[in-house]
Amino acid sequence: MTAALKLTDMETALIDQLPQDAPLRALLSEQGLPHRRVEDWKWTDLRTVVGKLPAEPGVLTFTISREPDAWAEQDEEPGLLMPRLASALGEDIQVYTLEDGERLELGVEATKGFAHQQVLILVPEGVKAELVENYAVEADGFANLTLVIVVMPGAQLDRVIEQHASPDAALVVTSLIDLAPKARLNQTTLGFGAKLARLETHVSHAGEGAELQLDGAYVLDEGLHLDQTSLVRHEGPNGVTKELFKGAAIKGAKGVFQGKIHVEQAAQKTDAQMQHRGLLLDDKAEIDAKPELEIYADDVVCAHGNAFGALDEDALFYMRQRGLPETKARALLTQSFLAEPIERIRDDDDRERLMARLMAMLEAL
Amino acid sequence: MLVIENLQARVDAEDGDGREILKGVSLEVPAGEVHAIMGPNGCGKSTLSYVLSGREGYEITGGTMRFDGEDLAEMEPEERAATGVFLSFQYPVEIPGVPTLTFIKEALNAQKRLRGEEEVPAPAFMKLAREAAAQLGISNDMLKRPVNVGFSGGEKKRMEIFQALMLQPKFLILDETDSGLDIDALKVVADGVNALRNEERGMLVITHYQRLLDYLKPDVVHVMAAGRIQETGGPELAHKLEKEGYDKYAGEAA
Repeated sequence: MTAALKLTDMETALIDQLPQDAPLRALLSEQGLPHRRVEDWKWTDLRTVVGKLPAEPGVLTFTISREPDAWAEQDEEPGLLMPRLASALGEDIQVYTLEDGERLELGVEATKGFAHQQVLILVPEGVKAELVENYAVEADGFANLTLVIVVMPGAQLDRVIEQHASPDAALVVTSLIDLAPKARLNQTTLGFGAKLARLETHVSHAGEGAELQLDGAYVLDEGLHLDQTSLVRHEGPNGVTKELFKGAAIKGAKGVFQGKIHVEQAAQKTDAQMQHRGLLLDDKAEIDAKPELEIYADDVVCAHGNAFGALDEDALFYMRQRGLPETKARALLTQSFLAEPIERIRDDDDRERLMARLMAMLEAL
Repeated sequence: MLVIENLQARVDAEDGDGREILKGVSLEVPAGEVHAIMGPNGCGKSTLSYVLSGREGYEITGGTMRFDGEDLAEMEPEERAATGVFLSFQYPVEIPGVPTLTFIKEALNAQKRLRGEEEVPAPAFMKLAREAAAQLGISNDMLKRPVNVGFSGGEKKRMEIFQALMLQPKFLILDETDSGLDIDALKVVADGVNALRNEERGMLVITHYQRLLDYLKPDVVHVMAAGRIQETGGPELAHKLEKEGYDKYAGEAA
């Protein structure tokens, strides 16, 4: 028996909004929001951070390149707590069915207070489309979003996510992705963190020629926290996953990378690679990483790597000796360290835009 | 132009107990002259180049170093660069991800901004680059590659001189520029350095051997040992050292 949890004002406010008979209500009362003693959240104490934010409803503003095709009610409740909350407390699900060649732009801004929403993106068979997301949360906001994305057989989705620095706010975006046989998803995130931000991606990977590229770059200024957690589950044979995350943090910032690739017994001939590289720009910077492979098939090629480093002082002096100011030299070196995931973005404009944003952030550090 | 008086410096050590490397170096290089510093390994030649250019990890404990009347010790490395001091590194550093020409253009314009000058327009910069590259036998491909990445030792040294040609500094410090060069590469590099020689520009050539000096023909040769200039003379001093070695100064090292 565990002692009864003393609920935070935020938790009480969320519970009050749930129907009396909802199982989620009991669950939240009993366990609270995810916190550091929950293994999957051990470096990201959501409960403590949002417990200090105003426990009042806020507003989510969507800036979208077009209207949703439909608004739907939840028919199957998600398993994870945060998507369950998004589903239970958000408005009806926004549904987008992408057309071939379409570029859907989805901007999300949140104001003070808590707000939840679920979005469903369908990429029909054979369709090739782009999804570009932007997240920004104002001071004292707590936004919880869930995107359910279904990439159907032979379809391709290029997904680019920008998460703007939100120093006094919390953001949780959970992506639940279905990748069908012969489908392809290229996802790249550029994140600058928040008081607490968690970008969590789950992919059910059908294999059978399906390919996933899951990339991310992050730069964290003082006081900012960004957690990028992913779970890729290979369920069928002949699937490919390439994961590359690179990030930099200065003192007082905290980066978290949790990456897991799970290969089921049926997923023979899986080719899965996962890399994370962290750059500590100060002695007191923190980046926590947990890369994991869990493999039940015997004929696979899987690898993961994780490394940390600091800026090369010799290179810094060399650049300054040629006349570059120290801030510029640091920014250039850090950019060159972080560039690779961004360079893998296929769309020229998106790639250049994110690279410019990255450089601007680095020069402002 | 460069006036060093009784310069003393120590290398910082983790335990706080730094070792004195420069023990009172004095020399003066007027504009238009090329001075060589020769000396045995460990005599402080390279330390002098780092102290002059402002590398971290050294503490100046005495003396002065002035360039055109300005106190170098008071300036950041990039300010020293902008005022005209260029160090050709003994071991040029690789900078992955930063294309060579982009790097030089950024450096040149950063120097110009610090000096309050107009930036160089791209077409003029490209013209300069083509001419300098042709002079040093540097291919277009090398200019597009990241700075020094995958270059041979000789290519890196050529690239240092290429950067000097592009940045047109007032003063060059060449730290062991001849090391790692075969005789053909040595001649190309020396020709590049000689092309930079003029009435307004000074040079300090740090070397262990005399062969680079055969091409550069210094006006003055200093012998450095045990952290001090032990002897100063004309070009004939380099030849004498080549024959007799540094044994004569070995006693000073104790």
